[in-house]
Amino acid sequence: MAKPKNVPASTLSTGDLASRTLILDNGAHTIKAGYSSHLDNHAPNHQDCTIIPNCIARSTRDKRTYIGPELTTCLDYGELAYRRPVEKGYVVNWEGEKAIWERSFSSEEGGLGCEPAETNLILTEQPNAPVTLQRWTDEMVFEEFGFGAYYRTIGASLNAWAPSPFPSTADSVSGLPVECLLVVDAGYSHTTITPLYHGRPLHSAIRRLDVGGKVLTNRLKDCISRTFDVHREDHIVSEIKEDVCYVSPSPSAFAADLERTWKGGRYDARELDTTVVVDYVLPDYEHIKRGYHRPHDAKIKGGRVLRVDEETGRREHVVTVGNERFTVPELLFTPSDIGMSQPGLCGVILQSIHSLPEGLRQVFLANIIVVGGSGLLPGFVERLDAELRGAVDEDLVVRVARAEDPLKNSWLGGARMAQDEGNLRQRLVTRAEWMEHGEGWVRRRFAGKIGR
Amino acid sequence: MRVNGGERVLVGEGERVEQSLELFKLRRGELGTADPFTCSRAFLLELSINKTIKTAIMATGPLRFRTPHIEELPTAQSRQSAGFAWVPVSGAQDDPAKNWGTTNRKRQRQSTGGQTDQQKEAVSARQQREVERRIKDLNSDNSKETVEIPKKPGQQPSGGAFKIGKTTGTKKIMSSGKGLQHHLEDEQAEIDRTGRREGEVDAPAPNAQRASKTPLHRRKPREDSSASNSPAPAVSSMPPPAIPRGMSMDTAAELVQLDDSDEDGENQLPGLPSAAEMEALLNAAPLTYAQARAASPPPGLPPPRRFCETCGYWGRARCLKCGAMTCSVVCKDEHDQSKCLKMYA
Repeated sequence: MAKPKNVPASTLSTGDLASRTLILDNGAHTIKAGYSSHLDNHAPNHQDCTIIPNCIARSTRDKRTYIGPELTTCLDYGELAYRRPVEKGYVVNWEGEKAIWERSFSSEEGGLGCEPAETNLILTEQPNAPVTLQRWTDEMVFEEFGFGAYYRTIGASLNAWAPSPFPSTADSVSGLPVECLLVVDAGYSHTTITPLYHGRPLHSAIRRLDVGGKVLTNRLKDCISRTFDVHREDHIVSEIKEDVCYVSPSPSAFAADLERTWKGGRYDARELDTTVVVDYVLPDYEHIKRGYHRPHDAKIKGGRVLRVDEETGRREHVVTVGNERFTVPELLFTPSDIGMSQPGLCGVILQSIHSLPEGLRQVFLANIIVVGGSGLLPGFVERLDAELRGAVDEDLVVRVARAEDPLKNSWLGGARMAQDEGNLRQRLVTRAEWMEHGEGWVRRRFAGKIGR
Repeated sequence: MRVNGGERVLVGEGERVEQSLELFKLRRGELGTADPFTCSRAFLLELSINKTIKTAIMATGPLRFRTPHIEELPTAQSRQSAGFAWVPVSGAQDDPAKNWGTTNRKRQRQSTGGQTDQQKEAVSARQQREVERRIKDLNSDNSKETVEIPKKPGQQPSGGAFKIGKTTGTKKIMSSGKGLQHHLEDEQAEIDRTGRREGEVDAPAPNAQRASKTPLHRRKPREDSSASNSPAPAVSSMPPPAIPRGMSMDTAAELVQLDDSDEDGENQLPGLPSAAEMEALLNAAPLTYAQARAASPPPGLPPPRRFCETCGYWGRARCLKCGAMTCSVVCKDEHDQSKCLKMYA
């Protein structure tokens, strides 16, 4: 997209808001992006949001580099080399991030067709960011991209405006936040617990568990590599994790599952339980475009095989996945399995809740929402619910729910918030104000310290 | 001690044999007194002490009197006991030098008089480092900086300037090569040097202590200090609003007692904090990255579970050479052949 060398002055006068708002939920794995407008009555829904991989990938087989949304056009995901500009949820490498954003904003195929000068921006970040990175973000948005007005917030706080997944809560009017919400964001880099009050975060109670989707994928890579080396196949192992992994409903069920997948000792050979152990057929991107799994075939010994499939007569790589199915997600609930000195997810939630005054504890325990990619694992919510119930007093109510679409929920909340003009005027900072007051003022505004 | 006509000497149980002989001699008048010595109590003599007396008697040289016949009289208190007793000894071996030639590392540690604190710390520091290295590997992104960003061909005349950035500020930002660790360390240095990060109006007092260098396993749980590094401890810190809130809870509790009606559930809950306290909570400064990390679990929990390195079942046996756990003989063979450190290290 051709861009003049100087950033054009915004065509809006200081009183006006641009007609539509771009909500960019900037994550370490993917960007969730879409438009919302306060001028029309169209209620935002999940279709308005596009998920863009937040990476620059180079394929050694194609000799091509894919930036951001181009990755969906890639035909061969084997041995992709990634470069991720977002580390632990914070944008560190703006050179790469700028390339990805520009490709996403362009009107080419897969892009959003965004004109930054004519759009408001709502951008999300992770809590407890180093101040320098916040300053850099502000400067890049205003100077480099030239957005007219912009609001930077903690990603979790947008969830307060999304429709509540609890069946008993009345539907919130679009534009008003839920009063109390405890957001468990099980994301790619880590898992963050954020209590929100009327959409504003209670900073002293935000806690972070350093286990996220990335750690789970890497651990699965290590486990599968005992039989078949997959250390470079990030995308394929990620797909295996999404297809096949689940969370055991309780520690005793975990032990029972482990028994079922054990092949036994030397004198005590056991049958593998084929309901749990599966064979995963790896994609070869010629005939098989996407891997799939099927129950374990006892004739396959040793865990990995290159065999001829009976029906199609073609060769396929098959990997046996046994106890990795549930020991890998168990890391979220017992990080001490790999030696991390943090408590499991239940313990972290309790730490967060105990740091709040006593009167608030019950309220937040009753309103726990799970968002983020790792929340999609089957059995996650049930396990969390059971553990929390066991850990708190019997007379406290505990309600845990997964958002309807955990990946897009924050985006949806942001879109609904942006529908209300009052919200926008209260929060957005225009470029003129940034030039006038400077970046320290802008940062304090975003932190909620200076009202309008 | 009583002597009957048959020259029987009964020696008290536990009495020293020499004393008994003295008394015997006394009785016999060799030491000057002629009173017959009668004893009011019944005395017993163990069979083995019998022998001891005989040996003692023999050891003291040939006697000038007839050897007394010493015989055990069973009474209610007599019992055949083993002549030795089990005595608890603290420490497994009395003599650590006995382990001088073992190859068993555990016994070797015993033999050198126990490990010093320093050595113990070295062992656990090594384990700690190993664990940390493995965790860092798990967190690796596989991101390679060599992936180049392709330039869009022929879009605008001055492609180079476009890529680098429009203003000097953005040029600097985009050409910075700092990673997240750099930023976090910079921020930590800033906090240690001055108050809080810039932009915080109410900066807490600068931290007079250095950042703790104690290894993790020796750290004692620290009380919360506002600018400290340690993650905010779970229960011990109540935010300042708790103090006025405590009063409000007392008044709420009083009210509860006053209107002692039949509904139990609602009134027993502690009251919600007042609006002022909520404002204070909401306006609190955000924590630093390190402070927001969840703290370690309380130390009383069971030790972490170990799994087999070959198959993933419960780990039941540890390899002596490299310390890896395996579950069965089959897995251990596999481990020895390919993964044991003696192959590579």
